[in-house]
Amino acid sequence: MTQFNLYEEEFHPSPLMHIWLEFKRSHFALIGFAILLLFCAIAILAPLLAPYDPNVQNTNAILLPPAWEGNGSIAHIFGTDTLGRDVFSRTLYGCRVTFGSSVFLVLIASTIGVALGTLAGMKKGIKSSVLNHLLDSLMAIPTLLVAIIIVAIIGTGLWNSMWAIILVLIPQFVHQTRTFVREEMKKDYILLDKLDGASSPRIFWSSILPGMFELLAVQSTLALSVAIIDISALGFLNLGAQSPVVELGASLSQSLEVAYTAPWLVALPGFFIFLMVLSINIVGERLRTALRNRLIH
Amino acid sequence: MNLNNQSSIIKSAILLSFSLILLLGCSKQKTQITQAGITFCSEGSPASFNPQLDTSSTTADASSHQVYDRLLEFNTENGEIEPGLASSWLVSNDSLTYTFQLRKGVSFHDTPYFTPTRNFNADDVVFSIDRWRVNSHPYHDISGGSYPYFQSLGLKSTIKNVARINGYRVEISLYKPDSSFLANLATDFSVILSAEYAMNLLEDGSPSNLDTLPIGTGPYKFVSYRQDQFIRYKRHRDYFLNTTGPENLVFDITPKSSLRVAKLITGECDAVAFPSQNDLEIIREREDLTLLKKPGLNVGFWAFNTSKPPFDNPKVRRALALAIDKTSLLEAVYLGQATRAKSLVPSASWAHQSNMQDIGYNPVIARKLLDEAGIPSDFTMNIWAMPVQRAYNPNAMKMAQLMSTYLAEVGVTVNIVSYDWARFRENLTSGMHDSVLIGWSADNGDPDNFYRPLLTCAAIPSGTNRARWCNPEYDNLIESALKTEDSNERRIFYHRANQIIFRETPLVPIAHAFQYQAVNNQIEGITINPFGGIRFDDVVRKQ
Amino acid sequence: MINLLLRYINLMVVTITTLVIISFSLAYMFPGDTLTNISGIVPQSEEQRIALEAAFKLDRSIFVQFWYYVDNLVSGDWGVSFSSQISLLDEISIAFPATLELIIYALLISICIGIPIGFIGGIWHHKPFDFGVVTFSVVSYSFPVFWIALIFITIFCLQLGYLPLSGRVNYLYDIPHNSGFILWDILVADTPNKNDAFADALRHLILPTASIALVTTAIFIRFTRHSIMDEMRKGYIDAAKSRGFTTRQIFFKHGLRNSLLPIIPLMALQISTLMTNAMVVETIFSWPGIGNWLIQAIYQRDYPAIRIGMLVVSVFVVTFTITIEFISRAFDPARDKFERDAV
Repeated sequence: MTQFNLYEEEFHPSPLMHIWLEFKRSHFALIGFAILLLFCAIAILAPLLAPYDPNVQNTNAILLPPAWEGNGSIAHIFGTDTLGRDVFSRTLYGCRVTFGSSVFLVLIASTIGVALGTLAGMKKGIKSSVLNHLLDSLMAIPTLLVAIIIVAIIGTGLWNSMWAIILVLIPQFVHQTRTFVREEMKKDYILLDKLDGASSPRIFWSSILPGMFELLAVQSTLALSVAIIDISALGFLNLGAQSPVVELGASLSQSLEVAYTAPWLVALPGFFIFLMVLSINIVGERLRTALRNRLIH
Repeated sequence: MNLNNQSSIIKSAILLSFSLILLLGCSKQKTQITQAGITFCSEGSPASFNPQLDTSSTTADASSHQVYDRLLEFNTENGEIEPGLASSWLVSNDSLTYTFQLRKGVSFHDTPYFTPTRNFNADDVVFSIDRWRVNSHPYHDISGGSYPYFQSLGLKSTIKNVARINGYRVEISLYKPDSSFLANLATDFSVILSAEYAMNLLEDGSPSNLDTLPIGTGPYKFVSYRQDQFIRYKRHRDYFLNTTGPENLVFDITPKSSLRVAKLITGECDAVAFPSQNDLEIIREREDLTLLKKPGLNVGFWAFNTSKPPFDNPKVRRALALAIDKTSLLEAVYLGQATRAKSLVPSASWAHQSNMQDIGYNPVIARKLLDEAGIPSDFTMNIWAMPVQRAYNPNAMKMAQLMSTYLAEVGVTVNIVSYDWARFRENLTSGMHDSVLIGWSADNGDPDNFYRPLLTCAAIPSGTNRARWCNPEYDNLIESALKTEDSNERRIFYHRANQIIFRETPLVPIAHAFQYQAVNNQIEGITINPFGGIRFDDVVRKQ
Repeated sequence: MINLLLRYINLMVVTITTLVIISFSLAYMFPGDTLTNISGIVPQSEEQRIALEAAFKLDRSIFVQFWYYVDNLVSGDWGVSFSSQISLLDEISIAFPATLELIIYALLISICIGIPIGFIGGIWHHKPFDFGVVTFSVVSYSFPVFWIALIFITIFCLQLGYLPLSGRVNYLYDIPHNSGFILWDILVADTPNKNDAFADALRHLILPTASIALVTTAIFIRFTRHSIMDEMRKGYIDAAKSRGFTTRQIFFKHGLRNSLLPIIPLMALQISTLMTNAMVVETIFSWPGIGNWLIQAIYQRDYPAIRIGMLVVSVFVVTFTITIEFISRAFDPARDKFERDAV
């Protein structure tokens, strides 16, 4: 068994390695990926990183500007808001809520969506086709609108808004999965599995699911950027997270009141939402290109 | 598409951007229309256009000094009573009969929906008062039949009769002497309606239009109204006073106070109602804006619903009052723009008690009292916070949040409740609250205007007694104070009433706020009216 | 062709019926008194309650109620708003055109700016200009629309004082309601000062339109660029090149049409994105459109208004999308069914 092969060094990366190598080629994608990892770290470590409790009101230090302005202080790097709460801590906790809940709800939506989509795809019949058409056209309605209606019914609050967005994202996953599964079922390798005597679940787990990862990855990044924007939009409209839960969109809505005297309260939370979405979009784009190019090279 | 089209696209893009830049370049248009009009940013939609039906200052602002006049008026500088639609008056020796001589040549508005055939006369006065006074009056039940201001003062049982002596003389007789009667006739709520218009509407079958399509004698005619958006007025050419106001007046309804101030900055509004405390500094710093300030005749307080246990126990109320630190509330919510309130009337009133004792901040005693009253340490209550800004409380939500932190320290959990302003007031009147952060702005300079509507038994059904408190000893004192004309004697009665309030704590007085108004420097002639609604009849725009 | 038409009509009917059913059942799903949710009136007494129930057919079976509801919808009796007591049909017919105006102008701007830029970027791809285009589009696409609106307000209205930040036109201009489109209404009104009013309305339009148009422009740029790049890669371009045509000739004669065609359904898709963004932006700019109205209704828990408002918006979006898809499918049957990507 040759451990070294001095003369023929061949490097056969696995498919996953391929994607990573392709992904790595763009510097921007790497920066975006790094930012994404940063947000994941913030989401997990926020309580450790934040210098203050985000809900502690300090009536002596109201509307302090950020540290880089004239009368700011380093004790409050990003300044304070109208109730004297430290903006840096609130931003960290807000990132945690916005990013963390978006990731969480994409996970749930994708799991449910894939499950339903597979079921729909593996069965045949008019019912599933009609349902598919219906789902299709209902997907034309913007997600935020449906989320707003659902929140109007079940009430405001972070959990309710999360459920609303999950409900809204599921059809996307269902649709994609169903189409994919339908296509795959027609292929020969599935036929082989069936001839071998595999049951439907087995076919799904061992044959179809591995092929679905790319699709899922792409779809999930799209869904994640939608989820972040929708969660913060709902928070901004005061239909999402209520105080004392800190959320970036909700902090933006409170900042409009003091936009003239404290523009940093407008700029900072929004900038972090922007950064989140930007990094997801960059990573998602590059992932899609990497997946495409992997097949070419 | 070929190359020519492509370059023409680029050309038109450049042109478009140039014209956009030009548009941007000219800031704040000075056009003919904007010179001849004034825009006022108000904080809410009026419930109707007749202040008799409502005590909200939103309604009074929109209608009282715009569309209507009163028999008597307050001098905004010294609070004295001046002639309005009544040119002179006589009080009989026994203080039971008041005779008013009415002004001649006062015309009503001429609008697309009504053309007056006669000038103002005694019939209009009789109609305006009898409408709310006489239950059997055909207009009594129109638009709800509730006249909270007059009801809270018990004026129905005070006035014996309103009689027309001749076309320009009216005699009002009372059952008992009431030294605040003249002041009550000068408030925003005592407007004079058009009896002729009312009769016409009754014949046409649409009597409620009296309150939604108003006709009065005031400096501005009503033109149109869209709820939550705007109110349009036009100058009444034949207004009896020789004042100079703009031709067009617009109320731009903007519930958010920060947005109002922002609009003042961008020039979309010329004057704003209730600028928020946060923005006062900005207005002071900017050279193109003026901040008008006056000590206000108001009180902001925290009222307990004494008809709901455990708030019917004075010990509990006392404990809750001890649990909060008023000083920090004054700093954080009023930002130092108010004085600490120890009783109902502020120092601007002659009945003020400067040596009044105050409930301090003592959470230890608070917890002890709560334990004595049997309140468990996981007790939950709600605080209702007004969604709108008022001079007496610029940010009730923020105050409630601060208070909940204090109350948590003595083991009381607080839920903060709020609705949109109209529903908030409705629900308060039905007594759904545990406690509420609200207040009162005086309608006239008389201290009776604080003591009676806020805490007497008769004021519970009209809704102004938010604490739903009924104490016969207190009521007696207030009644007695009206029987004499001597303000020294009256003051003694009111000071005794203060002691009862301090003992029983149906409400906790928090602050007497300064009253502010913010205007654009181009507007001259706006003054703060401590007794009521905003007036525009003598306002000019500098050219 | 007829087949296609029938299929799409079928789709539209089924979808709209589903939406109506959902809107109907909302009355039961909303918290609170069902009778108030449907009629918008709070019954003051027992007799009034019974009378209202009979009037709104609540005492009959669910099918009768549904039929009654559909009947009312079609005949224009949409009920009254709970908070303002004004007929919902009136309120929506005033509010909806305001949003439409915003959306249409934003769409026009995105098309006029987005497509040419994406076009140039696609042709000269991987050159510096393209690099700038891609950066701009990725960045603009990631802006949360409410944040960009707030930034615009902070800079242009508060700090610089150039532009107004609320409403459609200064209220001192009394423009009678005609079509609901403010620019048109100004042109046909017989008030004096028309030019001033028109310029004023334009100044009010700039920031909200720009906020919404930014994201959509980015989408158009990206899509056009991809479409052109894909088209350039196709076999027939190479084949034509090998026959001696220059790139420019091939492209303008054949490639352009093929690459621009998929953009038409994209425009339809953007309507729904624009609608959502417009709704959020309207609340920031106090623009009296359907979005602001619907969100205020939600704050005030005005359930009759929420039901009808949601129905109107979704029916509009769905109808528009399906119609455009049908048209593009009808004129380009070779194309695969378009994948939706609604945000």
